[in-house]
Amino acid sequence: SQHKAQGRKQTPGRAPIEALVMEMQDPNAGIKMQTQRLVITAIPHAMTGSDILAWLMNRLQISDEEAQNLGNQVVQHGYIYPLQEPKNLLLRPDGSLYRFQTPYFWPTQHWPAEETDYAIYLAKKNIRKKGILEDYEKENYNALNKKINHKWDFIVMQAKEQYRAGKERKKGDRFVFECQERAYWLVHRPPVSNFQELNSISEEFSLIIFNQQSLMRSRVKSSVSLGGIVKYSEQYLKHDPIMSGCLPSNPWLTDDTKFWELNMPLVETPTKLRVERWTFNFRELIRDPRGRQDFQLFLRKEFSGENLGFWEACEDLKYGDQSKVKEKAEEVYKTFLAPGARRWINIDGKTMDITVKGLQNPHRYVLDAAQTHIYMLMKKDSYGRYMKSPIFKETMNKAIVPEVTKFTFSKRYWKSSPSPVILRQQEEEAKAKAATNAPMDITQLCKYTAPVSHLAVYTGICEPTSPTSPTLCEFPPSSPGLVTLPNSAACPSPISVAIESTPSSKRKLEASNSVASTHIPSIAEATEVSVSSNSSTTAVEEARQPLQKSRMALSFSRFLKRGCSNSPVFATLSPKCPSVNSSRVQPLDGDQQQVTQTKSKKITNFFQIKVDIPSECRIYPIDSEDEEEDGPNVAKSTEKEVICPWENLAEGKAG
Amino acid sequence: VGKQGSQIEDKTQEECRALLEALNKVAACYRHLVVTIGGTSDSQNLREELKKTRKKAQDLAVANRNKLTVFLKDKTISKDDRVEYERLWVIFTTCMEILEVDMRKALEMGQEFHGGTTGVAARAMSAQNMKYEADSNIDVVDLKDLENEINQVGEMMMEMEMKVNVPNWTVEAKQDPGAELQSTISVGASSVGMISLNEQNKSVCDITRLLAGIIFTAVLIIAVVLAVLVIQLS
Repeated sequence: SQHKAQGRKQTPGRAPIEALVMEMQDPNAGIKMQTQRLVITAIPHAMTGSDILAWLMNRLQISDEEAQNLGNQVVQHGYIYPLQEPKNLLLRPDGSLYRFQTPYFWPTQHWPAEETDYAIYLAKKNIRKKGILEDYEKENYNALNKKINHKWDFIVMQAKEQYRAGKERKKGDRFVFECQERAYWLVHRPPVSNFQELNSISEEFSLIIFNQQSLMRSRVKSSVSLGGIVKYSEQYLKHDPIMSGCLPSNPWLTDDTKFWELNMPLVETPTKLRVERWTFNFRELIRDPRGRQDFQLFLRKEFSGENLGFWEACEDLKYGDQSKVKEKAEEVYKTFLAPGARRWINIDGKTMDITVKGLQNPHRYVLDAAQTHIYMLMKKDSYGRYMKSPIFKETMNKAIVPEVTKFTFSKRYWKSSPSPVILRQQEEEAKAKAATNAPMDITQLCKYTAPVSHLAVYTGICEPTSPTSPTLCEFPPSSPGLVTLPNSAACPSPISVAIESTPSSKRKLEASNSVASTHIPSIAEATEVSVSSNSSTTAVEEARQPLQKSRMALSFSRFLKRGCSNSPVFATLSPKCPSVNSSRVQPLDGDQQQVTQTKSKKITNFFQIKVDIPSECRIYPIDSEDEEEDGPNVAKSTEKEVICPWENLAEGKAG
Repeated sequence: VGKQGSQIEDKTQEECRALLEALNKVAACYRHLVVTIGGTSDSQNLREELKKTRKKAQDLAVANRNKLTVFLKDKTISKDDRVEYERLWVIFTTCMEILEVDMRKALEMGQEFHGGTTGVAARAMSAQNMKYEADSNIDVVDLKDLENEINQVGEMMMEMEMKVNVPNWTVEAKQDPGAELQSTISVGASSVGMISLNEQNKSVCDITRLLAGIIFTAVLIIAVVLAVLVIQLS
């Protein structure tokens, strides 16, 4: 409802122009007014333009020009209106007639010209003129009819009634009222030029968007949110060093930096309080680097360490150096997402599709969907088990409760903490070490029964020329940051952005998938033996042993090695480490057409050649040294890096 | 029984519509009156009329509200009926909005313009005319009353909004654009049931009509007499 009167107070003082207008109307000292005859009607209290100007000049002691200016202002604001040329809102310095506008129609900010009133006015005019309105009035009428349609019945009622009431007045009064009303609306709803319309339209449009967004925000009952704050405060009270003090002591007070040392990001033995925080919720655990470390240990035991690894890689992508986004995204793809990747994560097909599509144009948030999926997976699944695991229990037992600092007067040794640069270097070294020494993220057996399309990878048979697949240059080069969807807030959802920007890739994906499936049978026969045999179980057991030097991504390839030693082609095609250079994964879309064509030719040759190579060729564990042992043909073709879908054709050919 | 029931429904709907029509008329009246405040045809009489019209508006508003809320709170009415009542409710609330705005404008202007003429002149006059002062005192009292009434109306509308949950935007107008060009009465109520008001507005015109009637009859009589004379002469 339009309760614009809320909070309205009485105006303290009149606007100066209003005082002036009032003076003009003074019967003694004001402008000389007369009754004019217009056609057959007599108009009371009319005055000429020249009289008005003269009065202004006299009263305010201003020049001709100033008076003209002021007079125009007075007319344009609607305090005085012309009788003979209503649309001409100027004060003519001649005998043209003007009248004072009634105070009801004076322009004030408290009472902006309302839509409902305007609609009633137009309806009345419609009745009076028997349907003949001006063009802009017709437009306004139709627009209002749509906009405030729910009030329209009332508007028609009121218009008819006001019209009827008007007719019952004296003719002179009625005419005056009509003039006044018309003058008012000519001031407040002038025939608008297009430019102004556009401006107001864009304002309204942004208003609409703003309101839509406000509507979409989720609402929480205040009782619920207050309860949340209380719960949070209660839970964290003990852990807040300001509220509950900190052990051993507040370094700012005692100059004892032990507190900081004990709570370093990757300290060997965390404090009991810190470990307790990990039990609050998963977020606490994953935000604490020490907690992550512990959790990673546990995950490795469960053979799902790649999940946390992926999560960390995503965080690095989001918050790390943005100039390296492309490389990082590539690496993540090769390590975690590509079929046959070294540390393949198990996410559902839809998310995988979205992510891969998004990786065509990598940006900070391109991995968000997958990251969320993995996060929820860890949270709902692994976290619970971690809490009950012996690893966590041990950590909890080992956690220390520092003693309160004994205040000593002994000489203090001011030692500075290591420089952040050095700390960072140490961190990176530790990371690299961890990466190289990391035991395999052994994927579960069930993965192998899933996408058989994996097999297509190893055959090297990729999609043939499909007539509909475009080349790389046809990809629409859209920058994710610029796409704004009407329903998104400041940051557009990266997933939707990614989808928007890659409409054509879908076709290729489908093409590639369909092709892959048709080629499976030829290989499937050969591998069925290995997959279904009970060598799978033995392989899994074997896989459980910690592998120190192994670089295998999938034990699948080990199966194949075991099961079909006669087709070392699979083994040689299996992913190798380091992941950047040697794993071969299926290109995901057809922009690699030429590459794959030449490749497939090469590969078919390769097939034939490979059969001849003796099987004592070492395949496992696959190191960079081993590559050199293989035949030169192998080296040539396996030198080719992972074909990422977004890579340049030129890059692809370099291999 | 069903037919009777629907007849009763129709009758109550008609009553509602009639009440609304009345309120609508009062609102139109009030608008015409308020427009003239502070203008050149302002007068003490106008203040009186404003007050009367306001009183009528209040009474009708309360009556309408009571009647409509009964039906809107009734969960047993049919869907079609409910739609109709919601439509009437939107008409009612819009009318009240207009009335409230006009009342506030009247208050503001009433405080600035006293009595028959513009402020400057009024102040000049009041220095000379004691009676005028008395009148202006009445005006002050009246304005206070007006202020109270405005507050009452405002409160009533807030209350209505809280209690009756009718989403305005879902109501579709029955009238198409251009419906005002037709001469039939819009709400659909029969003219018999309507409360006729506006006697005060008509008072001036009635006199002129009376005069016109007298003159007409006079002319008629003269014409008849002349005709008789002509016949007699010929």
